Amino acid sequence: MSALLQVRNVSKRFGGLVAVNDVSFDIQRGNIHALIGPNGAGKTTMFNMISALVQPSEGELLFEEHPLHKTRPDRLAGLGIGRTFQNLAVFGHATVVQNLLVGMHHRTRTGLLEAGIFFGRARQEEIRAREKVEEIIEFLEIEDLRDTPVGALSYGLQKRVELGRALAVGPKLMLLDEMVSGMNGEETEDIGRFILDINETLDITILMIEHDMHFVMDISDRVTVLNYGQLIADGTPAEVSASDAVIKAYLGRA
Amino acid sequence: MRSGHAVEDYRQLVALSDNPITWFWVGLLILLLLALPGLVPTYTLVMASAVGIAAIGAIGLNLLTGTTGLISLGQAGFLAVGAYTCALLMADYGWPAEAAMPAAAIFTGLLSLVIGVPSLRLKGLYLAITTLAFSLIVTHFILYSENLTHGPFGVRIANPTMLGMDIASDVGFYYFVGILLLLVSLFALNVMRTRIGRAWIAIRDHDIAAQVMGINLVHYKLLAFFVSSSIVGLAGALTTLRLRFINVEVFDLLISIEALAMIIVGGLGSVAGSILGAAFIVLLPEGVRILLDFLTPEMKTAYSNYVYEVRGLLIGAIVIIILRVESGGLVGIWMKTKRYWINWPLPI
Repeated sequence: MSALLQVRNVSKRFGGLVAVNDVSFDIQRGNIHALIGPNGAGKTTMFNMISALVQPSEGELLFEEHPLHKTRPDRLAGLGIGRTFQNLAVFGHATVVQNLLVGMHHRTRTGLLEAGIFFGRARQEEIRAREKVEEIIEFLEIEDLRDTPVGALSYGLQKRVELGRALAVGPKLMLLDEMVSGMNGEETEDIGRFILDINETLDITILMIEHDMHFVMDISDRVTVLNYGQLIADGTPAEVSASDAVIKAYLGRA
Repeated sequence: MRSGHAVEDYRQLVALSDNPITWFWVGLLILLLLALPGLVPTYTLVMASAVGIAAIGAIGLNLLTGTTGLISLGQAGFLAVGAYTCALLMADYGWPAEAAMPAAAIFTGLLSLVIGVPSLRLKGLYLAITTLAFSLIVTHFILYSENLTHGPFGVRIANPTMLGMDIASDVGFYYFVGILLLLVSLFALNVMRTRIGRAWIAIRDHDIAAQVMGINLVHYKLLAFFVSSSIVGLAGALTTLRLRFINVEVFDLLISIEALAMIIVGGLGSVAGSILGAAFIVLLPEGVRILLDFLTPEMKTAYSNYVYEVRGLLIGAIVIIILRVESGGLVGIWMKTKRYWINWPLPI
């Protein structure tokens, strides 16, 4: 069986700047895969290409053989990709429940007239979606925050809601962009536990960008390292941390 | 202090309100409104109808500006399109009100897509200016296309009936507006608690995240324009049925500003807020007049001479105060007060 996501010779140029240069790697089903590198290494550009927000200048991105480089971003959820953003991207004035329900948008079909009279399918869909949302709320341990506007929550909790929203998409692959940056030790541990749980019990493949090295080495199955848009290492945490190029570029020479 | 109640069924979670006390008060309010013609003088009913029409318009605008975050200064233009479509179909083409009114609503909705399309790339101030320009174009078109619109002479319609109901009388029209306001409110509340309303909220709060969650921005922005403007067009058609004579002066640009004031004062993104805000802004001059009745006669005369200026000043001041003190508007204040009393004597 082929990899869940195949990145094939992908490059991205913004004017004269080469953000990503001829990068190839695979993400295997069931893995927790980390994408690391110093600032400006091209990690977020790579994420945006996988989320179809940015088109690669060259190369292909195949998700279950489906070409992501020819896809519109709003088709992503339907393909089974959920993501969180580097800075908070929650719907701040909406409640926790509403935020999570937006994640289920692509799984519902209610049209305008049905919605307006709230009868039949509209009501049935709402009830089913609420049931699923309750599962996620329980999973993320945010039962007491259901009806709180997300903008009023702490940073760590907002991130947790964002994670829940990506989960509500019902993804096969979750893209997590710097989940734990700016979090304290306890919050980081919580998120780590949730990520492991999502991976193991819900069987969702994870691709995450992280700067926290302990966090990455602790929970990842595989690590890909970018530096100035080049792929400089791709392997298990042990292999990567032993790589000369990585030590030189990123971890610093001891 | 009131204690919470346990929710036992998912059906309760998707209800508009699962609290019987809320439904009791809503029922009481509807009964009161039904009995109103027997309790108050005709003038009050006429004011109530004006509030109802403004409220329908405000609900429409609030879906676009409050819920989807697309700021519109084109309310006067959309009202004019709805009003003229209804008036011309009835006066020149002999359509009955039953057909002219829905046609006016749908035509306004479709026409709004013309400015909905540029809105896909414009945000904030630029979109506001585009809608303002649309409003000006509508006014000019009406003034200079005399063959179609009677130009500066305005349009007069005969006394209308609606499904056998006499809506030319003050009482009949009051009930008619009331029924429509109820239907429009329910429609808006329902749409807002489904995927469509949530997609609009998502676009307002973070459009890129909304897109990645599977929301087609083009589709939902245009849908917001269509739904919002259809409702505003309906309010325009009601204006025609109420006045029975319209010209461009009825749709002054100031109407757009007042409509924005209504939804800001009432509460952005809230149906109840739209109604409260419309009532507040429409009844403001009356309220001030009643207050001044207790003061000296000189002030009364001064006020009746400068009622428009005073009104404009007051609206401006109130909008600033609301934005500064309680950005949730009247609905926000109501929610906070309610929470305070429910939790009393504990702090919020």
